[in-house]
Amino acid sequence: MVASDPRVTVVTGGGSGIGHATAVRLARRSDAVCVCDLSEAGLSETAALIQSEGGTVLTGIVDVRDQSQVRAWIAEILQRFGKIDCLFSNAGVNARSSVADMTVAQWSLLIDTHVTGTFNFCQAVLRRMVERRAGSIVITSSDFAIVGVPNAANYCAAKTALYSLTKSLALEFSPYGIRVNAIGPGPIDTPLLRAGRTPEGYANARAAFEARLPIKRLGRPEEVAAVVDFLLSDRATFITGQLVQPNGGQVMW
Amino acid sequence: MGMARANEHQGRVAVVTGGSGAIGAAIAERLNKSGALVHVLDLQPSSLPGADFHRADVRNEPDVDRAFDAIGKSAGGIDYLVCCAGIFRRVPFLDLLLEDWQKTLEINLTGYFLCCRAALRFMRPQKFGRIVLFSSMLARTGGVNSGHYAASKGGILGLARSLAVESAAENIRVNTISPTITDTPMPRAVLSDEEIESRKTGIPLGRIGRVDDMAEACMFLLSDDSSYLLGQDLRVNGGSTLW
Repeated sequence: MVASDPRVTVVTGGGSGIGHATAVRLARRSDAVCVCDLSEAGLSETAALIQSEGGTVLTGIVDVRDQSQVRAWIAEILQRFGKIDCLFSNAGVNARSSVADMTVAQWSLLIDTHVTGTFNFCQAVLRRMVERRAGSIVITSSDFAIVGVPNAANYCAAKTALYSLTKSLALEFSPYGIRVNAIGPGPIDTPLLRAGRTPEGYANARAAFEARLPIKRLGRPEEVAAVVDFLLSDRATFITGQLVQPNGGQVMW
Repeated sequence: MGMARANEHQGRVAVVTGGSGAIGAAIAERLNKSGALVHVLDLQPSSLPGADFHRADVRNEPDVDRAFDAIGKSAGGIDYLVCCAGIFRRVPFLDLLLEDWQKTLEINLTGYFLCCRAALRFMRPQKFGRIVLFSSMLARTGGVNSGHYAASKGGILGLARSLAVESAAENIRVNTISPTITDTPMPRAVLSDEEIESRKTGIPLGRIGRVDDMAEACMFLLSDDSSYLLGQDLRVNGGSTLW
């Protein structure tokens, strides 16, 4: 590989919100971006934007919970580009419910998608990163890894598990020069924040966030993408195992 | 705000305290190269060409106010404040004199308070400001013979979070950086080469910090790339402490 090879970056959940903004930003900095999602429409939108700007993009419909799908897609990426430099494991869903009424399906959907999905992707790419003794991973955790929230026990448990996974991966793979960090976004104006809420419910939630947040506004996906870009890059070569929180001051610790 | 401009630091007025020390000087140099108007506050003269040097003892209220007033009035404002001025001399707790304690707290913590207050007088009316305060991993972990230093650095975290909440609505962001041991004259003055070498074994990435690691982190926190970060502590520590 020559130094001028483009970086190859995998973004999961790249069909909307934070994943979309990050894929677009990284394509603009000349990464070859491999984007997966369950939403074909979302993927097409991300890919079309990147291609219209002259960027390189590969898309895949992948259920991150399914290890065989993940491995097959990683193999496809390696066949096309020969390497993977960076992973942004970001695919997520939400299913709000009080614990009293929560079904096992609601619980498992979040744990499987966030935690097992990230395990699947990290394992698949780390095997190659270890061979090359280089690589950087960012995992989307949440402020909710630090604080609890009512009606979101499944989400909080999943995001806390991701923070924990991040720290263990950072220690396990630092001997290979591979860095693993997490981001803990606060309320970001994305489809996920709207999911499961009526328009009125979303308006109320948004007003409550804005009143409570020190910065008095929701975050934009691009503001999170900038942090992911920083952590993946050589600007952060001495940062590993950390949770970095673009959260408008929602949680400071 | 929005996407970072090609050169967002151009013309910004930046004050770096402890700007003659290793980390402060590296940040001052980066800012200077990025087109910012750099002012160094320190007791030791700055050797950085292109930066204005202001001799000030950060413990001294009139000194600090005079320096910031001079900078803010001549430059028409103050946009960035980076606080690095600090001292660290290890002393066993039972040997710690009140004078040692007070000197450390006054330079490392009260000095930050005075500089933040003086800078905010300019940042608040202009509704723009970026403040980066250097704390230390010792604020979290503590350290042998370091109670006074750890206390001063822990105080910085509380100060930063409070300032962040108080100033957020005025488009002033305050964040901190907690380095682990960094290759500068400060640790080398108190640790032998063998001791520094042994520190690497406790750092998963296998090396101690470099001045550039801290400068990169600081430039990130000053830039629009971190526009949704406030009251956060960026731990630039090679994975040595994961909280």
